[in-house]
Amino acid sequence: MTQNDAKEDSAPDFSPEGLYKFWAETLKLPTIGPMFAFSKEFSNYANDIINLGKVMSELKSHNDNYWSLITATYAKAAKATFEKSPKQLVSKEDYENYRRAMIEAFEDAFTGLFSSPEFSVIYGKVFSAQLDFSKALQSLAEKNLKILNLPTRSEIDEILKDLHDLRKSVRELRKQIEVSSDDKAGSDGT
Amino acid sequence: MTKQEAMGPNQKEQVEPVPQAQPPQEPVPKPQKKETVTPEELKEMYRRLDKTRSVLHTAGEIEVGQTPCEVLRETRTYRLVHYQQMVNKTERTPILIVYALINKSYVLDLQPDKSWVKSLLSQGFDVYLLDWKAPTNADKFVSFDDYVNCYINECVDIVLKKSKVDKLTLHGYCMGASMSAMYTTLHQEKVRNLVVIAPVVDTEKDTTVIGSLAKNMDVEKMLQVAGNLPAEQLYACYSVLKPFKQGVNKYFNLVQNIDNEQFVGNFLRIEKWLYDTPPIAGETFRQWVADIYQKNLLAKNELRLGDDIIDLTKIKVPILNIVADEDHLVSPQCSAPLNDMVSSSDRRLMRFHTGHVGLIASLYSQNNVLPKVGQWLKARSQ
Repeated sequence: MTQNDAKEDSAPDFSPEGLYKFWAETLKLPTIGPMFAFSKEFSNYANDIINLGKVMSELKSHNDNYWSLITATYAKAAKATFEKSPKQLVSKEDYENYRRAMIEAFEDAFTGLFSSPEFSVIYGKVFSAQLDFSKALQSLAEKNLKILNLPTRSEIDEILKDLHDLRKSVRELRKQIEVSSDDKAGSDGT
Repeated sequence: MTKQEAMGPNQKEQVEPVPQAQPPQEPVPKPQKKETVTPEELKEMYRRLDKTRSVLHTAGEIEVGQTPCEVLRETRTYRLVHYQQMVNKTERTPILIVYALINKSYVLDLQPDKSWVKSLLSQGFDVYLLDWKAPTNADKFVSFDDYVNCYINECVDIVLKKSKVDKLTLHGYCMGASMSAMYTTLHQEKVRNLVVIAPVVDTEKDTTVIGSLAKNMDVEKMLQVAGNLPAEQLYACYSVLKPFKQGVNKYFNLVQNIDNEQFVGNFLRIEKWLYDTPPIAGETFRQWVADIYQKNLLAKNELRLGDDIIDLTKIKVPILNIVADEDHLVSPQCSAPLNDMVSSSDRRLMRFHTGHVGLIASLYSQNNVLPKVGQWLKARSQ
């Protein structure tokens, strides 16, 4: 190991994950041993809460990108409306022309945005980040269900999958029975 | 009967001539003296706005799906209905309509003068409808295999038994059209004709916003976390389709026509349908987006349903494919290639200058689409 490697290894990591890892490793020291068992639940929750924070920060970052696209498009549409619409709103005709110009400008700007590949990618990331957020909350909720000795979402999912497979098997068996009884009826001449 | 119909069932694919595009119905501005807005007019505007607000709250109560029918079978997943015949002499081959999994099937029977179902009945057909129920959280693993090989197959058997025939016309709309095509590849012996409206087939050629959004959607994660596709997510997708010309402008039109009962009735029926969105079973939605939109497996003849592979080239029955030029949900470029993929010698593509919903629930559809569909079917239903 070179001197540089040693320096890199011991470089302090002040990120939330680094701090959590440092704290978790400290708890596992033999001299603090009994405390480890006592704090096991706590450390599990802490892990989930740190993950939730990370997911929320990613969601915020993707949301910011999404809203910056929307805001830029809104500004573009507002500018186009201003250019195309009457400068003074006095008569009914002015209002009607303003309405038409606004609808036209906003439709062009936003349809252009929504059909762009860039929007599709950012929308996909926001959607994915929202799901990550729900997943992090579900993970916390599952722990609570375990504490109450209730079946968790993952356990129910396993049962649902089994039920679905069972239904399918019953369906196939029924079909086979029908076919074989038809064959039997045919061979008996009934 | 048109010249094309007279050619009989062995005709090759023909494309309906596209009618001339209608110019936008904006009044031509006339040079006139500018009139200022008077306090009375402002008061009138307020009255209209207030009436619009209360009228919109009643959208859920408006009657739809009024054509008399009998429920033949009802399960947790679907309802099979048989419509009461309207004329004595009916065509021999019954029609089973397979609706999409998006929104509700009453769009096919929205109101008496714009009812797809009623028009078919009045032309002498025996009509059945497969109406999907909203999936529950327990249905997250229900897949296209279940929809096609179990539910549609069960309904086909019931219809054949009730009508005492061995083949029927399978007629699907949108997602239901894709499912009808899948069904026909696997159970062709029970299908006499296949009639599809706006089927999703070749998604690489799709030009819609929905198609673009679907390409970057993490549906595996959605299935794992949310289970079924929540209705809110579908609303979000709809809200990006023509957001101002349709999404906002329609309310301006409603305010302007708020005292016209017929206009308000038509508006509310469509509004009710637009926001009557059930969730979609998780695994089905995963297949729909990942396999059909992202990997284009249906067009590549590689889509897997249980143990079966969907090979569209196996379709040999007469096929009628109906598409709309202005369809912003399923573009005609995505639907039309079905006719090139099947092996049917009797195949026809009809294109109409309207939109996805206008194709089935409009006066345009009653006057231009349904008579041609009826003619095509009559030549193949005896």
